Amino acid sequence: MTELLRPGRPRVLAAAGVVGLAAALSLGFVAPAALGPYFQIDATARLFLALIHMVFLGIAYNVWTRLPGSEVAVEDRSFTTAWQVGLCFAFLAAADLSILANHFVGGWVALEATSLAAAPLIVRPGAPSSTQASWRYFLFSSVSLSLVLLGFLCIARGMTGQGLGDLFIAPFSAEPLPREAPGSWATLGLGLIVLGYGAKLGLAPLYMWLPETYQEAPAAVTSMLAAIQFNCTLVGLIRVLQVYRVGHEAMLSGELVGLGLASLALATASIIATTNLRRLLAYASILHGGIIAIGLGIGAGAGFGVLLYAVSNAFIKAMLFLTAGKIEAQYGTQSTTAIRGVIKGLPYSGLFLMAGTFALLGFPPFGSFVGELLILSGLVRGGYLLTFASVGFLVTVSFVATGRTVFPMIWGEQDASHPGGAPPMPTLAPQTFVSFVPKLLFLVALVVLGLHLPDPVNALFRQVAVTLGDP
Amino acid sequence: MTSLLLAFLLVLLAPLFLANWRTSLAGLAGQGVLLAAMNYRLHGAELTAANLLSVVDLAVLRGLVAPVVLYRVLQDRNAPDRNDVLPPNMLAWAAAIGVVLLAFRVASDLVPLDSDARMLTAVCGSGVLLGFLVLATQVGVFSQIIGVLRLENAVALFELGLPERSGDAAGFLGLALGQALVYLATIALCRYYLHEAPVVAIADPAPEFDDD
Repeated sequence: MTELLRPGRPRVLAAAGVVGLAAALSLGFVAPAALGPYFQIDATARLFLALIHMVFLGIAYNVWTRLPGSEVAVEDRSFTTAWQVGLCFAFLAAADLSILANHFVGGWVALEATSLAAAPLIVRPGAPSSTQASWRYFLFSSVSLSLVLLGFLCIARGMTGQGLGDLFIAPFSAEPLPREAPGSWATLGLGLIVLGYGAKLGLAPLYMWLPETYQEAPAAVTSMLAAIQFNCTLVGLIRVLQVYRVGHEAMLSGELVGLGLASLALATASIIATTNLRRLLAYASILHGGIIAIGLGIGAGAGFGVLLYAVSNAFIKAMLFLTAGKIEAQYGTQSTTAIRGVIKGLPYSGLFLMAGTFALLGFPPFGSFVGELLILSGLVRGGYLLTFASVGFLVTVSFVATGRTVFPMIWGEQDASHPGGAPPMPTLAPQTFVSFVPKLLFLVALVVLGLHLPDPVNALFRQVAVTLGDP
Repeated sequence: MTSLLLAFLLVLLAPLFLANWRTSLAGLAGQGVLLAAMNYRLHGAELTAANLLSVVDLAVLRGLVAPVVLYRVLQDRNAPDRNDVLPPNMLAWAAAIGVVLLAFRVASDLVPLDSDARMLTAVCGSGVLLGFLVLATQVGVFSQIIGVLRLENAVALFELGLPERSGDAAGFLGLALGQALVYLATIALCRYYLHEAPVVAIADPAPEFDDD
């Protein structure tokens, strides 16, 4: 109970999280509507707004219960100053606007604002390596989003050439909808947009920023990037597909499946090679991004699976990165070969690492299992048999590699022969029940997504899936 | 218009062959001024909010604020004069010329009629590809900042070439304001990273941020 009374800035974050989630959920009772000419509430906005605010509340709550306790290690120091909290609010507001945007360039501005707000949050005082990661993140964000903007401008240029006037600046839900932007300009534009959004999602070939950023940023910030910003970018890509898939099916499908397969291959090789817990989770994020890209690429029949998979992964990544931050703070290392016996030293964190890893690997009864199954069945039904075989092989290899690395961390014995000696078992203040409630709720959400979607949630998923081509 | 575009191409290319950070910043300033001049040529000098915002974005932010802010950081830190935006070898220079030729070739396919539109597409394509060339060949913080800002200026040039926007003026103004603020925040972050990087990491070739 005393934790609930802790003063300070994190309480403001948690309060904002509660208000934000209440507002996002209340949109479920509002009919689809335009909020002025540049914003709208539709099924996609409802689903992803509710998702990012659930995750944000969990992260804010986690920060709140962590501060100002003795367990705050330098590895996980975040939101300790007023400007960091201010940037966090700016990030969240921009994330909301990017999801509500009813306009491509408007959404782009908001997404760019999330990146600009997040970049300074990656920096940990006294850790130059985090400054370098922040710089890398900023650089890749700027380049990838420049590509996206250039892509939109190419589409606009193509429309001008076809006498379509300035449809480009009209909201994309306006009627009549320019669903078929013709010509080479549109092909070039869509290619750039998918490449740019793909880079922002961490897909190959422009993925290099992601492992470094996820490793170096404070755990709470990594969770925000992996679970909130990832989904804002995904919404941007989904909006493009909702409007332009018709007329450009083959090109979009080919590029998305190609990027997805390349990301899967790269992530699998990296998961085998890495000995760093956060990097392993980062590569798993790239792998998941690849599967989502493939699901979006095949379109019809996989839309529901993609959504289920994306939503599940937001909870998985938030839970695992927060847990990894806790483990790192307690053990003082991210090395997967040095950390052993987490289930004994940190029983709650050990349990979440175990459950999160099973969800990460796509085990039942989690939502990620059902989502992955639906995407794979979509591949078979769509006749993408070679892609199916490649995905199956790569996922199986990454499955074995992840288990081989993570399970000894959970159940293994301390190894005194480890270079530099065995790291000490955790000695900091133990977690209390209150502090792990957010992760528990994430876990409950994952199980609910896997076992039984409540009817209103199911209906919402279906509405969005239809816009992705599902019957 | 063609002369302005040729001048823009010149300020894109010249700093690549002159290994000095002051030249790179002068190139950025020149790009901003030329963008403003092209905006004037294309959209007139009517005193509207949209035009004023364009002047602030192109001439003030891109042509003045960005180079001056970066100049002051480098001056304060006594950065060494020499800074290669491209590796000083024939291969890199040939690649720079090659991507410009490639951009002109692609532009002639995309815009069949020989016109200002084709020239604008070619120069914009050159700016994008040269920006990527700088980003791909350099690791120093300053050079990469120059690469990013060149890329953003090329995108701004392409946007200038789109026809006059009609319709919701307030909405368009809001979007333009949003884009200008994004650029301003980008400059602020560039200043921060340039300030934080060790002096040895500013120029190429060098590591970026040192753990020492």
